[in-house]
Amino acid sequence: MKKKMHVLVIAFALVLSVTALVGCGAKKATTTGANGVSSDIQKIKDAGVLKVGVKVDVPNFGYKDPKTNKIDGFEIDLARQLAKRILGDESKIQLEPVTAKTRGPLLDNGQLDVVIATFTIKPERLLQWNFSDSYYTDQVGILVKKDSGITGLKDLDGKKVGVAQGATTKDAIEAEIAAQKLSIKPNYLEFATYPEINAALESGRIDAFSVDKSILTGYLSSDKVILAEGFAPQQYGIATKKGNDGITKECNTMLKEMTANGEMTTLLKKWNLK
Amino acid sequence: MGPFSLQKWQASLSNFPMLLEGLGVTLIVAATGLALAMIIGVVFGVLSSSHWKVARFFARVYVEFFQNTPLLIQVFLLYNALPLIAPKAVIPVTVVGVMGVGFYHGAYIAEVVRAGIQSIHQGQIEAALSQGFSYIQAMRHVIIPQALRVVLPPLTNQAVVLIKNTSILAVIAGGDLMYRGDSYAGSVGNYGPTYVVVGLLYFALCYPLAVLTKKLEDRSEVHGNA
Repeated sequence: MKKKMHVLVIAFALVLSVTALVGCGAKKATTTGANGVSSDIQKIKDAGVLKVGVKVDVPNFGYKDPKTNKIDGFEIDLARQLAKRILGDESKIQLEPVTAKTRGPLLDNGQLDVVIATFTIKPERLLQWNFSDSYYTDQVGILVKKDSGITGLKDLDGKKVGVAQGATTKDAIEAEIAAQKLSIKPNYLEFATYPEINAALESGRIDAFSVDKSILTGYLSSDKVILAEGFAPQQYGIATKKGNDGITKECNTMLKEMTANGEMTTLLKKWNLK
Repeated sequence: MGPFSLQKWQASLSNFPMLLEGLGVTLIVAATGLALAMIIGVVFGVLSSSHWKVARFFARVYVEFFQNTPLLIQVFLLYNALPLIAPKAVIPVTVVGVMGVGFYHGAYIAEVVRAGIQSIHQGQIEAALSQGFSYIQAMRHVIIPQALRVVLPPLTNQAVVLIKNTSILAVIAGGDLMYRGDSYAGSVGNYGPTYVVVGLLYFALCYPLAVLTKKLEDRSEVHGNA
């Protein structure tokens, strides 16, 4: 009797996991309706609001000002443009804070329509999500304490390097080490958010904080310095759920037009980006 | 492609050795942490049921502090704040994990032990003392053997919670099972299968203990309360 009970419990736990497996495995392709609007765009029109995943801890890109409690930045302006194109009103956006770790799942489960959050386009990621063309190219940089004596990648042998979970930084550093034919071996420690990496740097838990340079500028202080060296150009793209080709097409048209009519240059200047 | 497609399962399984490495860290931290929690729990449990007022006071302060603040904050303090206060005292991250769950569950186990001791009738200790036992001897030979039967089920329950709480290491880059899972799930987006496998591994660790708890509970019901 008791044995039967255990078998039942374990079987039920397995069934739960398998249900998740099958239930979420279903794939829906984008179709185009009679009015020429693709089904993914139509869904946003029906909802009447564009749900956008953005960063809230990256100054100039997506940053929530603690004084005003408002999220603003280059990527927020892009989101407004996209809402204007799809819904005809740039205020019809709903901004949701995301991290490197949460943005993918939030797209997959439909809580977000698009993610504009310093999301680097990578071959592996193209298998999982749709990406627009790149709207910004950044580099991976390294932030260290001034008194650490670290002046470049070559000094990172055996050092602890803090990176963000779900980010491409580790691969980028490894590729650069291989490219420069350096025989060094940094230890990578992954953290969920940038403030956590920064705290670890300040407490001496790690020797270097490495993410995209645009993100690092937000954590500069008088006792820290961003190394001049930068590597592995990272191209940011607007991500949507795999198969949402209508939205991706719309994003690409938008980015092309903005580049052509000079709006992109104006926007970059507005946010002190190059 | 959904988060649970076959392709992602295949890719995730190739990462299995990495998860096993994390499982090893989780096991070590859980076992050492449990040992620490037991020692702390017994010491403070005995102190808080003693007749010595100062001891009771310190035991209370300890228990209330650790029970009423989040484990996450305690672990962050050990990990980030301690090195800022004493730059030389950088405790290795696995030790932070052991101390974190050890101190935290030590407080809960202290309460379990105290309740166990207090469940034994006052007359028992008085009888033991009148027979010439010292307080420690009375505890060791008379009270604790009887209390043990009462406290075993809640103790194994604490062990289950402790195992799951070692996953706190994931937020301080501790290299445990949860961290490895997070790391892999985040890097390429195979979070679906990864978290299912990680969850099942925790289940495999905890379920036997949960069953043991149930067995011990049944047994103490049959023979207990004489």
